Amino acid sequence: MSAVTPTVAAEGERHPIDAALAARLAAIVGERRVLYRTGELLAYSSDGLPGYFKQPSIAVFPGSRDEVIAVVRELARAHVPFVPRGAGTGLSGGALADGVVLLGLNRLTTILSIDAANALAVVEPGVVNVALSRAVAAHGLHYAPDPSSQAACTIGGNVAENAGGPHCLKYGVTLNHVVALTVALPNGEVVTLGNAAGESDGYDLVGAFVGSEGCFGVALDVTVRLARNPQAVRTLLADFSSIDAAARAVSAIIASGILPAALEMMDAATIRAVEASIYAAGYPTDAAAVLLVELDGPTAGLDADVSTVVRLCRDAGARDVRVARDEAERAKLWQGRKKAFGAMGRISSHLVVQDAVVPRTKLPEMLARVHDIAERYRVTVCNVFHAGDGNLHPNIGYDANDPDESARVHAAMREIMQACVDAGGTITGEHGIGIDKLPYMNAIFSEESLSAMCALRQVFDPERRANPGKVVPVHSCREWQMAPAARTGQH
Amino acid sequence: MTATSPPRTAAVAPAELRDAIREAIARQRTLRVVGGGTWLDANRPVRAETTLPVGTHAGIVEYEPGDLTLTARAGTTLAEIARATSANGQWLALDPLGDPSRATLGATIATASYGPLAHHFGTPRDMTLGVEFVSGTGDVVRGGGRVVKNVAGFDLTRLVTGSWGTLGVLTEATVRLRALPAVETTLLIEIGSATAELERARTTLRALPFVPLAAQLVDAAARGAIGAAGARDAFVVRLGGNEESVRAQREQLRSVGDARDVEPEIWLRARVAEPARAAVVRLSQLPSRFATTWCDAGRITERWPGSYRHGDPGRGVVRVVLPVDESTSNGSLRAALEVPFEGTRIYERLPTALWPALAPTAMHGAIDRGVKAAFDPHHLLNPGVLGELQ
Repeated sequence: MSAVTPTVAAEGERHPIDAALAARLAAIVGERRVLYRTGELLAYSSDGLPGYFKQPSIAVFPGSRDEVIAVVRELARAHVPFVPRGAGTGLSGGALADGVVLLGLNRLTTILSIDAANALAVVEPGVVNVALSRAVAAHGLHYAPDPSSQAACTIGGNVAENAGGPHCLKYGVTLNHVVALTVALPNGEVVTLGNAAGESDGYDLVGAFVGSEGCFGVALDVTVRLARNPQAVRTLLADFSSIDAAARAVSAIIASGILPAALEMMDAATIRAVEASIYAAGYPTDAAAVLLVELDGPTAGLDADVSTVVRLCRDAGARDVRVARDEAERAKLWQGRKKAFGAMGRISSHLVVQDAVVPRTKLPEMLARVHDIAERYRVTVCNVFHAGDGNLHPNIGYDANDPDESARVHAAMREIMQACVDAGGTITGEHGIGIDKLPYMNAIFSEESLSAMCALRQVFDPERRANPGKVVPVHSCREWQMAPAARTGQH
Repeated sequence: MTATSPPRTAAVAPAELRDAIREAIARQRTLRVVGGGTWLDANRPVRAETTLPVGTHAGIVEYEPGDLTLTARAGTTLAEIARATSANGQWLALDPLGDPSRATLGATIATASYGPLAHHFGTPRDMTLGVEFVSGTGDVVRGGGRVVKNVAGFDLTRLVTGSWGTLGVLTEATVRLRALPAVETTLLIEIGSATAELERARTTLRALPFVPLAAQLVDAAARGAIGAAGARDAFVVRLGGNEESVRAQREQLRSVGDARDVEPEIWLRARVAEPARAAVVRLSQLPSRFATTWCDAGRITERWPGSYRHGDPGRGVVRVVLPVDESTSNGSLRAALEVPFEGTRIYERLPTALWPALAPTAMHGAIDRGVKAAFDPHHLLNPGVLGELQ
């Protein structure tokens, strides 16, 4: 038996590195695929969200489905907690934990099958989001959820986080595109959820698993629905001299009943960051805000919708609305949006990428509040977000080594989150709870609701070893409080 | 309904309902949850000591048209939601079977019922944003929220959608609305009965540059039931969009076959056409095998007088309806239902005696049973409806 303490890992708790366990894992995946020296683990101590540093005890990188199952079973035998990880692009600290085994799935990159006739694909969890769209492009298909990190993030990670992206406004989030999954439960048992070739009865366990942030097990393969490429696409850039006018245009477009494929907003700070970077997209640098609106679908009737959107933008006070003339211009407009986070990274050493949602009619009011809060705390907020969904991403660049600035940034963020909750919104639209949003869970869910979530997790992972300490604050889990293991830290 | 939202009510379940559930739990009394009573004979028979009527817990709680979301108590009828939303040019794009003036939002979500509009819009799981329910432990639980995008916490909304009231009693739900299409039209295209001809029509329909709001294949008997009588199988296709787009869609649809206009009431008639007593099964397979599924379903209907089938080529599902009465022989009904079919059979309605033989349970594994035990540990809610194992 290993010396690793079998336990529900509490925040900050470190487990002793277990050489025997590392050796057994190496026997499964090979010496080169097991890391346990501090220096080697450094790259796996943080993810896409700065400010958290958590060191796993061992990082293991299986290269096949069978190896994943064998690793999960080995960890189950040893009662060792683990955290699954895709590409590490997560923005909520979801794939981080101190002292646990980090299970990297980024080597499982095989697209197992493409069924163009039924617009389905079966992929391994490490397949990069954009690689799937590229692989099915020849069939006139694509994978619709398109997080901004799509060039790097994996389908497995997307499933864990129920990832979104600009085009989810029209096409839906990851949940709406996952048909079935094969999952290794934390105890090593392999189960199939959903039915890849038809309907299912019983509970919607696919729905429960998608967005479970690695707490319910490890996806071994994912059957996803593909979307047909639209016959025509129109991409518009509307230029506003005030944020409020842009926000009002968003509300007017949504209320009109036209459902754009995407409806994105960028404010002046974001525009300047993008235009000063290699991703310069030709956004007007003197604009207070721009809207990137994409309409797609059959050619017939599309331009009528384009005209309506142009009119609604002008009515709201747009100085100019231009329609991309060709694919190159369209790609350039989108590159600026998708690489906006990267562009901000040039300006400051650290960046808080925030994620919250408000009812869409509350956007003008909420953006004004965000502005006020930023001024009060003397921080610069860059807003770049999915306006059509009411999904805000207020980002603040700062220097984490400046304690005063860090404190102001975090206080401002807390206030912004509370304002979104007060407006009837929620604390995350697509990035997940991870560890970053844990303190806010009580603001939107009662103890009874949190306890029900714990009970669900308990079904998938009775030993609570999969991504411990995430999503639901441990103190909210009454079963856990009662369980002897939680009291004594032992089984 | 005006564009101003009604006042928000307290974010707890109506206390009376919660207390009734808690009392039943305290007394360990089994409960049959009843909304509008539309689907009482659907799914496996429930053996419960008490009926819990939730249909009176009705009313729209919050509706801000500009948000395209609506929150209503579980007993609110789909007709009431349609009235409120259509006044603002919007709709809840769900058309499950049953009279919409009786069918409730809660039951629609609890049973995950859908109709022809699922072809374009998906099923209740795709448009339910948040729920409130009283679990079998007596807890008032909320999942999701009231905004269109939300990944906070584990997804209890999906968990209770389609759980047939076995995990908790739904008290409130928030749903995503859509704008009503500016123009709508319904067309009927007759096709020949040969599998190859159906397959050609299906692939042509699928290759069109638009996805119709609904596309149902109906056989001759089904056509009679919905008031579009004719001897051949036919696609009934519902188009929507702006004027120019619908004009083009109508034109493009001609590549599938000769299309003629039919009255839009056909869709409502289809919802209420079902015989009061019937056995119903859905056959599902990949859409590419739809023609085969349709023919396999035809082997059921040819054995059963008065039966009919309708199906969604996009979803690959064919629904077969077989009228039954006191004189029905369960043996011959079973023989008809069990024609060879390589795919998934989901039974909706069956004579009580046939459930154990044809579909003893929907609880397929330890996770299903674990979920049930976690949310309704005493098996008090709709016992038996999913055939849960004791």
